[in-house]
Amino acid sequence: MNVFRRLTRRPSLELDDIQATVLRARPEPYFGTHAILEITDPGGGRELLRRLAPLVPSAAHWDEPRASWLALALSYHGLEALGVPEGTLASFPANFRAGMAARAERLRDTGPNAPANWEFPFGTPHVHVAVTIFADSETAWRNEVAAYERQLHDLAGVRLLSHQDFGATGFNVFGYRDGFSQPVVEGSGAERLPGGGRPVKAGEFVLGYPSETGQALPAPGPDVLGRNGTYVVFRKYHSHVAAFNRFLHDNARTEAERELLAAKLVGRWRSGAPLALAPEADNPALGEDSRQINNFGYRDDPRGLRTPLGSHIRRMNPRDGKLEVLSDVNIRRIIRRSTSYGQPLPATDLRDDRESRGLDFIALGARAIDNVEFLQSEWVNSGNFTGLGKEKDPLISLQDKGAYFTVPGSPPRRIQNIQSFNTLLGGEYFFMPSLSAINWLSR
Amino acid sequence: MSEQNPQVRFQNLPATVRDRVNEAMSDAKVVFKVKVGELLVNRKETAEHAVTGAGRIGAKSGEISELTLIAELKPGGAERLRRFFKLIDGNLAGAGQVGTLHNMRFVFLDNDTKLLFATAYDGEWDPYIDDFATKIPEMMDYIFSNMEGWPGITSPEVKEYIVTRQVPAEAWYVSQPHLTVAEESRLLRQDVTLQRFLTELN
Ligand code: HEM
Repeated sequence: MNVFRRLTRRPSLELDDIQATVLRARPEPYFGTHAILEITDPGGGRELLRRLAPLVPSAAHWDEPRASWLALALSYHGLEALGVPEGTLASFPANFRAGMAARAERLRDTGPNAPANWEFPFGTPHVHVAVTIFADSETAWRNEVAAYERQLHDLAGVRLLSHQDFGATGFNVFGYRDGFSQPVVEGSGAERLPGGGRPVKAGEFVLGYPSETGQALPAPGPDVLGRNGTYVVFRKYHSHVAAFNRFLHDNARTEAERELLAAKLVGRWRSGAPLALAPEADNPALGEDSRQINNFGYRDDPRGLRTPLGSHIRRMNPRDGKLEVLSDVNIRRIIRRSTSYGQPLPATDLRDDRESRGLDFIALGARAIDNVEFLQSEWVNSGNFTGLGKEKDPLISLQDKGAYFTVPGSPPRRIQNIQSFNTLLGGEYFFMPSLSAINWLSR
Repeated sequence: MSEQNPQVRFQNLPATVRDRVNEAMSDAKVVFKVKVGELLVNRKETAEHAVTGAGRIGAKSGEISELTLIAELKPGGAERLRRFFKLIDGNLAGAGQVGTLHNMRFVFLDNDTKLLFATAYDGEWDPYIDDFATKIPEMMDYIFSNMEGWPGITSPEVKEYIVTRQVPAEAWYVSQPHLTVAEESRLLRQDVTLQRFLTELN
C-alpha cells in the first residue's frame, strides 16, 4: 500500500522548523535503527547536537519520498545533562520530568511490565538522547547509520548505551498490516482520506499552535525551545506470537474461524481490511486501498456485532461510536511511528522459538505523554469507558488470571483465558525539539 | 458468638489487635471496641472495601473515588450560583452525560463566602479534566468562575487549582466498590430484559 498521503492544501505550519518524523510516514518496506546515548559531559552533549543537527531533516516536502532520515529526541535527564538552565527545566510538564518508569502506576506497568524487569538502559537516569534512523532500503539505511556513526566516532562526553535495528514490510510480527491509521494534522496540507476523521488542530501534535481547546497547550520556554517541538512516547514490547497463535487454535477449529477470531481481537483482518467493511470474510483489496482502509465509523454498529467494542482499534480510536464516559476522541489522537523488529512468526507456529521479536511503540504529539497515560489506564487496561467492565484490550493489556474477551453476537461469545500477548521491555518519555531548538540547545 | 459477653469476646481477639484498639480508642465502650476489633480481624470484608489512592489526591475504594473541594467564593458568587441552582430546582440531571459521577453536591459555607463541592466518581479525575475542557467548557466555567482564582477550564493551571483546594477524605466507604456508573447502567438494562422475560414467561 502507498502510505504517503498527498499534499492537497497549502501547509500553514512552519514545516521547515519541525522535524521530518512528525509528519513523514515511514516507508514500506522500512529499515532502521533506534540508538540511545548518554551525555557524560555537557560540552560533549552540545557538540553531539551540533554534529547531528545537519542530519535531521525538516518536515518540508514531507509528502515526497526520501531514502532515509534521522530523528532526534531528548529525555528530561538528557536536558539536565546538557546543562539546560533550571528555569527551562522547570517549564516542562511534571510527567515528562518524572519519566516513564516513575509513572508506572499511572501507566499500569506492573507485574512483568514493571520497570524493575526492564532491559537496560530503559528506566535508568542514563538515557539521555534517542536517535532513530528510518530508511526505505537496506543500502540507504547502512549509509545513514554510517553517517551518524562517523559523527559519534571521536566524540568525547557521549556514550552509546543501546543500538537496536528494526525493519519490516508494513506488517507487524503478528502478521497484521500496521501503522497506517494516522490523524490528519490541520495545517500540514495533508489530504483528508475517507473516514479518517476531520483534521485535528495542529496544537494537538506540534507545540505553539492552537489546540482543540482553542489555545496552545503548555510548552516549555523559551519560545525557541518549545515552539515546533513535540513529545515522544517510546515503549518497546516483546511479542508472544506463539502464545497468540495457540490462543487462536484453542478457540477456533478451522483456519477460517481462526482468522475471524484474529480479526475480532484487532478489529481488522491481517490484510488491514476493517471488519466494519468486511464483516464476514477478509477482503485483501480493502487492505491495499488507502482510500478505503479507514472509510468507516462505528455509529451503525453500537453493539459491536461487526467490530467488537473491545477490539484493539475500536478501543484505541473509538471514532464516532457512543461511549459510556464523556470523552473527546479528538484530543486522544496520536501520531504513530512504531517500528517492528525481529522475524514474524507464521500463524501455524505454536511453539515459542525464544527469538527476540516485537514492536517499538512510538507515539508523537503535544499530548503524547498525557494520552498514552490516559490510554493505558482508561482504554487499554479497563473496559468501563465502553461498558465492558474490567475487560481489557486483547492485544496490549496486562491480563489478569481468568481474563476473557467478548465477541458480541446473538448469543455473544465469551472467550476465556486470554493472556498478555505483549510484554513491555522498557520505555521512555522524550521531547523532540524543533530544528531551531536543537541549535539553541547546542549552544 | 455474638451472644457472648463483650469482655470475653474482646479477650478472644488476637493480642496485637487488642493492643491497637486499646491504644487508638482507649476511651470507647467495650461493645464498640469489640465491633472494631472484629472488623480488623475479618480480612475478607475489609479487603473488599480497601481504601487506596485516587491518583494525585483523594481516596478510592475499588473503582470509586471521592473528591471534596472547598473554595473561596468571589463577592456575589454565591448569589449568582443560587440563582442558577434555583432555576434548575437544584436538579443537576445534566451531569449524567459525564458518565462517571455517582453523586455530587454544592454547599455554601461560612455566610456564603465559601463553596463546598463534593462528589463520588469512578476512576481518577485527573485524566478527564482535559475532556471537560473541550466537551463542556461553558458549563465548567459558568459554575467555577464564581470562585476566587479559578484559572478557566482550559488553563494549564486548572489541575493545580483543584489539587490545592481539594481536602482528601481520611475515611471512605462505598457499599459496592466495583459498581461503576457504567456497570450500574448495564445491570439495570439487563434487569429490564430479565423482568420482561419473566413477565412473558407467565
Ligand atoms: C505490540 C503492541 C501493539 C500491536 C501489535 C499493535 C497493533 C495494531 C494494529 C494491527 C493496528 C491496526 C493498524 C492501523 O490502524 O494502523 C493498530 C492500530 C492502533 N494502535 Fe496498536 N498495537 C500495539 C500497541 C499499541 C499501543 C501501546 C497503543 C497506545 C497506547 C496503540 C494504539 C493504536 C492506535 C491509536 C491505533 C489506530 C486506531 C485507529 O485509528 O483506528 N497500539 N495497532
